[in-house]
Amino acid sequence: MALKGIKVVEFAGLAPGPFAGLVLADNGATVFRIDKPFQSSSSDILCRNKRSLAINPKIPSGLDVLKKVVASSDVLIDPFRPGVMERLGLGPVVFLGENGKVGLNEKLIYARIVGFPRTGSHKDMAGHDINYLALSGILSMLPGSHNRPTFPLNLLADFAGGGLLCTLGIILALFERNSSGRGQVVNVDMVSGARYVSSFPLMHFLNPSTGTFAAKRGGNLLDGGAPFYNIYTCKDGAFMSVGCLEPQFFNTFIEHFIKALPSDFKQRYGWVPNSSTQFDRNTWPELKNFLELGFHTRTRDEWTAVFMDTDACAVPILTPEEASQMEESGQSVPLPHPRILSKMNGAAQVIDLVPIELPPGKHTEEILQELGLTDTEYQRLVQDGAIEGTRSKL
Amino acid sequence: MALKGKKVIEFAGLAPAPFAGLVLSDNGASVVRVDRPSASTLDVLCRGKRSVAINSKIPSGRELLKRLIASSDVLIDPFRPGVMERLGLGPDVFLGSSGLNQRLVYARIIGFPRTGPYKNMAGHDLNYLALSGILSMLPGSTDKPSFPLNLLADFAGGGMHSVTKILLALLERNENNQGQVIDVDMVSGTRYVSTSPLIHRLNPFTGRFAAERGANLLDGGAPFYNIYACRDGGLLTLACIEPHFFKIFIGRFLEVLPEYLVLSDEWREFPFIAAQADRKLWLKLKQLLTSGFSLRTRNEWADIFFGTDACCVPVLTPEEAALKLSSCTALVSDKEAGSCLLNPGRHTREVLTVELGLTENEYEKLVDEGAIGQC
Repeated sequence: MALKGIKVVEFAGLAPGPFAGLVLADNGATVFRIDKPFQSSSSDILCRNKRSLAINPKIPSGLDVLKKVVASSDVLIDPFRPGVMERLGLGPVVFLGENGKVGLNEKLIYARIVGFPRTGSHKDMAGHDINYLALSGILSMLPGSHNRPTFPLNLLADFAGGGLLCTLGIILALFERNSSGRGQVVNVDMVSGARYVSSFPLMHFLNPSTGTFAAKRGGNLLDGGAPFYNIYTCKDGAFMSVGCLEPQFFNTFIEHFIKALPSDFKQRYGWVPNSSTQFDRNTWPELKNFLELGFHTRTRDEWTAVFMDTDACAVPILTPEEASQMEESGQSVPLPHPRILSKMNGAAQVIDLVPIELPPGKHTEEILQELGLTDTEYQRLVQDGAIEGTRSKL
Repeated sequence: MALKGKKVIEFAGLAPAPFAGLVLSDNGASVVRVDRPSASTLDVLCRGKRSVAINSKIPSGRELLKRLIASSDVLIDPFRPGVMERLGLGPDVFLGSSGLNQRLVYARIIGFPRTGPYKNMAGHDLNYLALSGILSMLPGSTDKPSFPLNLLADFAGGGMHSVTKILLALLERNENNQGQVIDVDMVSGTRYVSTSPLIHRLNPFTGRFAAERGANLLDGGAPFYNIYACRDGGLLTLACIEPHFFKIFIGRFLEVLPEYLVLSDEWREFPFIAAQADRKLWLKLKQLLTSGFSLRTRNEWADIFFGTDACCVPVLTPEEAALKLSSCTALVSDKEAGSCLLNPGRHTREVLTVELGLTENEYEKLVDEGAIGQC
């Protein structure tokens, strides 16, 4: 695996940090999650293949050990607000050095994920995904109700523009390190990250001459304005997705759709879609109405069969459980993706059997032993309260 | 820049492929987009790229493509399974035992999984979202989920994912000097990016996504993680999930609202702090917040919560967002923005003669044969 041998220290945090750690772990890196000791549980479920080291950096002996751990690692993931790591004595300068002062680990990739831009008016404020989406400009473009957009959970800022982008930055830095021999700081903020992932719609919006996002919210090709790029409710209350943008696909869709309608539907309705007017917006309300009523005449699975093996771009909207069943592997949880073709792992990991939670501190003893701590040093940490003694024996 | 000197051939396609090419270009790679001659394009993701127009139906055009790919580091193939093979440009040609470029990273991006009932069907982002399972979890109306444009499958699960894997392959190549094939499909890619909500949904004991669509913490169910309309129609986001942030928010919110409202029976008797943790009170809390927010404009509210940990910030339009960020360090490259479209074939001559080393005669021959487009 590409990251075999790479050691990652991920300071426990919300969403983006753990997801970056997960992607690195899925690609072979050894990832330690650093937790606070004396916590009974963590709600982090993105901990596949990670180990947990619970250690208190505010205790001097704990700080020393943490510095040692980071000094012998390749990547650090810092999810805290600006200044926190510096105040703990774990800032980038300590490891990467500065102005002639040598650092403890100048090959370290120091990845920092914050929400609001690090230089900017909101940099010290707390926030979450939906706030970062708000400042990115993309939220205002998302479809929803007539007076408000809706937001796709916390996927765009936390995961796409945060965790995944951070992973990308880390890999680019590892790549550079191969030629330069040096580490660096990688800065991600989720407002900029969400914007970057949203380059396509934002650029079209700011260049209305392209026509792709020139209408108001909800009236465009890709935001629910077009009847042929939309979601329809079927007779059984389940949904079909329709995405036939290209004229030849639209033709195919209309042909199969009409053929499948009950025989009296067309007569009662008195109007049939005309493929030559696909992009005439004046016909969109009529077409949307036709499709809505038409889709209501059959169940989702019946419609699925109608369009299967065609280029109509009409497929069912599956629940998570149904989507899991479609996984070739038979595992319910998303597998690491994509798979690399030339190196298929012998025994594919059975992800369903991996517990989704990682108790804080589960591997403290093991990890400190690997680090080369003596028993005396270990006991000292317990005495100081830097780590929790008996926990890690579980 | 990290990818300086790396050469990428990106066959023109929709969304995910150009976005992958864009990210590589933004990080220093030399990206050439291969267009069909006389194609038109609305591709806006072409910053820093060059375009060659080559007709793959003409034998000398195909030979030319082979040469181009053989001298590159990365190939981005956006076509349905089998297309490249039929053009004589499949992975074996380059990575096989007598392949032309065994160091090539051959990235294939498709929509539906390569093995499975949908593999030969046409589709778009919305369809891939549909099969991923995540679309059924997205908030929208009471009737149907809503979809975030084509961001999740095309860009997050498609483009971004592909780039991540391309880079990992390049890293591996540094060790073993070998290229490889990378297969991305956007159903699986979207599922991967959506790992967290999907795991929660499939493990209801965590409580995070145990309720029906629209009634959970992060999908519009919680009043303190939501969007509110203001007096002027502007919008605000509220995201004070943590109790101490909620306390800060509510304290300030009640402080600035008019007395007649805050001292009314309805408001005075409502247990705001306790309501955060009590789902039975969420509907009422949402109503109260809705009516409170509607009393002031968006910018007034933005000012009130600015500099606090209330997690309450305004929804900006794309223009406002761009203005605001112009003073901040951008994530992206220093290559100039330029015009947003790239004419197909604009750099055909340059790339072929200067880089591939074709002579003028060879170049003219290709033009005569219709193998390349004149620009």
